[in-house]
Amino acid sequence: MKVVYLYVVLLFTQLVIGQELFVVTDPASNIPANSLSARMGNLLFKEKFESGYNYHLMPEVSYGLNKNLMFRGTAFISNRGNSLVTEGGSFFSKYRFYSEDDINSHFRLAAFGRYSFNNSDIHQEQIETMGHNTGFEVGLVATKLIHKVAISSSLSFERAFDNTSKNPFPDHLGNTATNYTLSIGKLMYPKTYTSFKQTNINLMLEFLGQTINENGRSSLDVIPAVQFIINSQARIDLAYRHEIMSSMYRTAPNGFYLNLEYNLYNVLKK
Amino acid sequence: MKNILITFIALFFAIESNAQIVKADIIATGLTCSMCSKSIYKQLSSLPEVASVDTDLNTNTFTVNMKSNTNVSPKIFKENVEKAGFFIGSLVVSVNPKTLEKYIHVEKKQVPNTKQVQVQILDKGFVTDKEFKKLAKKHKDVPTYTAGNENNFHFRIVN
Repeated sequence: MKVVYLYVVLLFTQLVIGQELFVVTDPASNIPANSLSARMGNLLFKEKFESGYNYHLMPEVSYGLNKNLMFRGTAFISNRGNSLVTEGGSFFSKYRFYSEDDINSHFRLAAFGRYSFNNSDIHQEQIETMGHNTGFEVGLVATKLIHKVAISSSLSFERAFDNTSKNPFPDHLGNTATNYTLSIGKLMYPKTYTSFKQTNINLMLEFLGQTINENGRSSLDVIPAVQFIINSQARIDLAYRHEIMSSMYRTAPNGFYLNLEYNLYNVLKK
Repeated sequence: MKNILITFIALFFAIESNAQIVKADIIATGLTCSMCSKSIYKQLSSLPEVASVDTDLNTNTFTVNMKSNTNVSPKIFKENVEKAGFFIGSLVVSVNPKTLEKYIHVEKKQVPNTKQVQVQILDKGFVTDKEFKKLAKKHKDVPTYTAGNENNFHFRIVN
């Protein structure tokens, strides 16, 4: 355990120099006003109690309405039922309400909310409105950027409803959760910029925790990630999610992320 | 006659509120990533008054070359950098000194009688928050500076 602690501390000190376009969590910064961002999220998670992997495909589109407010729509497609089926979707919004910017640094705060619907069966204690549960999540996020390092932390409340009348939320499980995240990112390459065309490489480490409010059962995951930003316009994230500890029933806690994203600036002329 | 009068009035007002900006050097704050710089670059390049934008990614400096004979308010630079999600840390504009009387000079230094003069805009939102606090103390005897009317621009001579 001590070794794990030491390793985490070491990673922190190493990484404290990056960027805040995290793989799983959202920073307090928004996408630029009047810009569109399209993402194809791919998740491949290993089944814990049966053989094989389950695959989730999450196409999503984000739009910046103005400098402080953004919206995002996501569709949830998965092969948990043998073939690829659209199981649901979500609507997300984030409002940046505080910014303190200086040369090469900023501190920002934002509030966010998500409503999701999903028609799949409920098969685990973990509440996840991204692709598993019908429900909502509301929370606050704080992000600090200092030169090449970004540190971001969020706290949120999540509540699950019945997925459908056929797939109701089980009575014996707690249906509300508290989520807490900590993300660190560092710009590794280039050391000095020469043009917009240069590929940027970011290294990231994210911690995601959840506690079910009704019974205190918890889990904590770590997600190391590498990110490539191409031509200052496209983004590729490769990440692995690993369960560090858990006292709740989860069917597929460990797996891979591959996100492909493309940004279109200034899409609608006003 | 009426049309000429309206044109004349419109022209008068346009010149009245804006100095003739040839070039603007903007240092943006709150960013270190090239994607962030690109969003500012795209935002500034999309303005019809802008001829070209040169970027130094390491210092987040954007040199905005304006089309000739354009009268724009420094406000457009602030608005567009903020649309991209960031802020202005410094704005230096190269202007025709004859049109500089539209701005308020906070220093006693004489405006040079050259073809172009570089001036830094000192109002809130055009310097970092820290810098503005210092400047507000320094120029507390300039009533328009502390009043913070967003259509008044205060400057100091850079060159």
